[in-house]
Amino acid sequence: MASVKLTNVQKVYDNHVIAVHDFNLDIKDKEFIVFVGPSGCGKSTTLRMVAGLEDISGGTVEIDGEVVNDLQPKDRGIAMVFQNYALYPHMSVYDNIAFSLRLQKVPEDVIFEKVTNAAEILGITDYLMRKPRALSGGQRQRVAIGRAMVRDSKVFLMDEPLSNLDAKLRNQMRAEIILLRQKLNTTFIYVTHDQTEAMTLGDRIVIMKDGFIQQVGTPTEVFEMPKNLFVAEFIGAPKMNIMRTELVKEGGKYYVTPFGSKIEVDGAKGQALAAKGYGSRSIDLGVRPEHIVLAKKGEGIPCTLEVNEMMGSELHLHVFTEDGTRLIVRVPTIGLEQDERENLVQGHRLFVTFEGKVMHFFDPESGENLLN
Amino acid sequence: MTKQDSLAAERRRKTIMSVVLAAICIIYVLPVLSVVINSFKVNTFVKTDTFALPTGEMWAGFSNFIKGMTFGNYPFWKSVAFSALITVASTALILLFTSMAAWYIARVNSFSCKLIYYLCVFSMVVPFQMVMFTLSKTADSLHLNTPWTIPIVYLGFGAGLSIFMFVGFVKSIPLEIEEAASIDGCGPVRTYFSVVFPMLKPTMISVGILEIMWIWNDYLLPYLVLDINEYRTIPIHIQYLKGSYGTVDLGATMALILLSIIPVIIFYLICQKHIIKGVAAGAVKG
Repeated sequence: MASVKLTNVQKVYDNHVIAVHDFNLDIKDKEFIVFVGPSGCGKSTTLRMVAGLEDISGGTVEIDGEVVNDLQPKDRGIAMVFQNYALYPHMSVYDNIAFSLRLQKVPEDVIFEKVTNAAEILGITDYLMRKPRALSGGQRQRVAIGRAMVRDSKVFLMDEPLSNLDAKLRNQMRAEIILLRQKLNTTFIYVTHDQTEAMTLGDRIVIMKDGFIQQVGTPTEVFEMPKNLFVAEFIGAPKMNIMRTELVKEGGKYYVTPFGSKIEVDGAKGQALAAKGYGSRSIDLGVRPEHIVLAKKGEGIPCTLEVNEMMGSELHLHVFTEDGTRLIVRVPTIGLEQDERENLVQGHRLFVTFEGKVMHFFDPESGENLLN
Repeated sequence: MTKQDSLAAERRRKTIMSVVLAAICIIYVLPVLSVVINSFKVNTFVKTDTFALPTGEMWAGFSNFIKGMTFGNYPFWKSVAFSALITVASTALILLFTSMAAWYIARVNSFSCKLIYYLCVFSMVVPFQMVMFTLSKTADSLHLNTPWTIPIVYLGFGAGLSIFMFVGFVKSIPLEIEEAASIDGCGPVRTYFSVVFPMLKPTMISVGILEIMWIWNDYLLPYLVLDINEYRTIPIHIQYLKGSYGTVDLGATMALILLSIIPVIIFYLICQKHIIKGVAAGAVKG
């Protein structure tokens, strides 16, 4: 168990490509922190710098108060789970898990106890004598986690550990990682490109893009108060709808006018806008798909249905407005009559609307949230 | 063309191909077959009835083998021992050092590594005859002219092909495995011997077989480098099966050739599965 502190950490490759710019982050003891972002955003590079697998071009990494920039990976007190499992193919599951302990010259009876304990927690006791090639993807990933578990390390690093698994297994393993975290009660740094994983696992999420931190916050914070357009669109599935529109201030109240409609901004958001001193101006308006509702005919924003995705408990309606802007609307199937559902076919005309309290306002040029 | 016509054409094509391939196969096997036949034949019939089966008065039984092994004053078992020593030691050296070098070349992406790699590849296309005289001089001056030191010369000549094959295979091993080893507590040496070396097994076997076949059968290099009065390998021993006035006992020669190729054939038959696997692994994944 340990805190991790990254101060002005930078990664510059030989070809002068900057993968990570001035990364600053304080990770508290026993915190589960998730680095999330699209491919090439620098999240894995940052994790690898913490692990010691990548040289640090600038700044410092501290683990438990000690600067570890020049320490070998084995001396940093970390354990790591890799995306491709990275099991030793010529060793049995038992030997894979026991390998690091043998290098530390731990007595065999202690090794046996630790390995069997870890195997029991992970449900792989029956496979201890098998070679990794005789295991399924999920079992292999459990072995990789077991190998990290027995090291009693201060920090647990996970680099996209679930991305090679199928969707069902991924959900199952995600739940298992939550349980594992409760059992181990140590500091976790977890890298993923999947925002669902980030939201469900992390105490705090670090959202990255092009080597820069975009926002650090709890899952609720980043979802409800995204710092900028990138975070707003990245967090949440389907992604947030963005509409270029006008913010109008009339008689002390604020309105938005997307696609010819006029919707009042609700009290709290209106007050926040007033407190920041905004007048009428052009904005990018963000509304999450689940906050858009179907309106009665002739009310709200007229749209044409392009695609109707049946997701089981809800429909994802891909619609386009009269000016061609595409929106996604999440409609719970439970509230729909049979004939309403049957009407939702390609080309169907419908009307949508949303409430003022669910809006997000972004600067069209900088992309920053106006209320931050 | 009807479906039946096209099927008939396909059958004809396959028959022609089978005949051609069978003919090529016979051409390849014929020299080996002639060695087998003539090793059991009385010497005088080897030249006159080369392809006849050793029956009747031509049948020599195992006398050619006994004659070959007891001919002259250099014991045959000594040649076998030197051949085995040189082959085993050279192959072991080649496998150990070239696999290490290949691992380094594949993992360290520097200019010098690329240069070494291309030099190794280039060395494969330089014919031995081009360097053999300077080599024998160098080997003499460096005292590499004994069966105990000639493996170093073989290491130099065998490095090209084996580094080429090992680099291809190492590149197919995920780097993450070695990174996991370094987090688990391995330094480079430990990583190599505990993690990389065992994973190289398929390529080790195929490179090992190729090197063993080459070194066991090699004639020119030991002939040029070794003091042949003192140290003879099997191919050199066979070359010295000459009687008075330079007459050669072909029956005995054929018998010793047969004896010398039997171990290699047995070895190849046991390991041929691994040869194909190893070569394919290096070539396809690399």
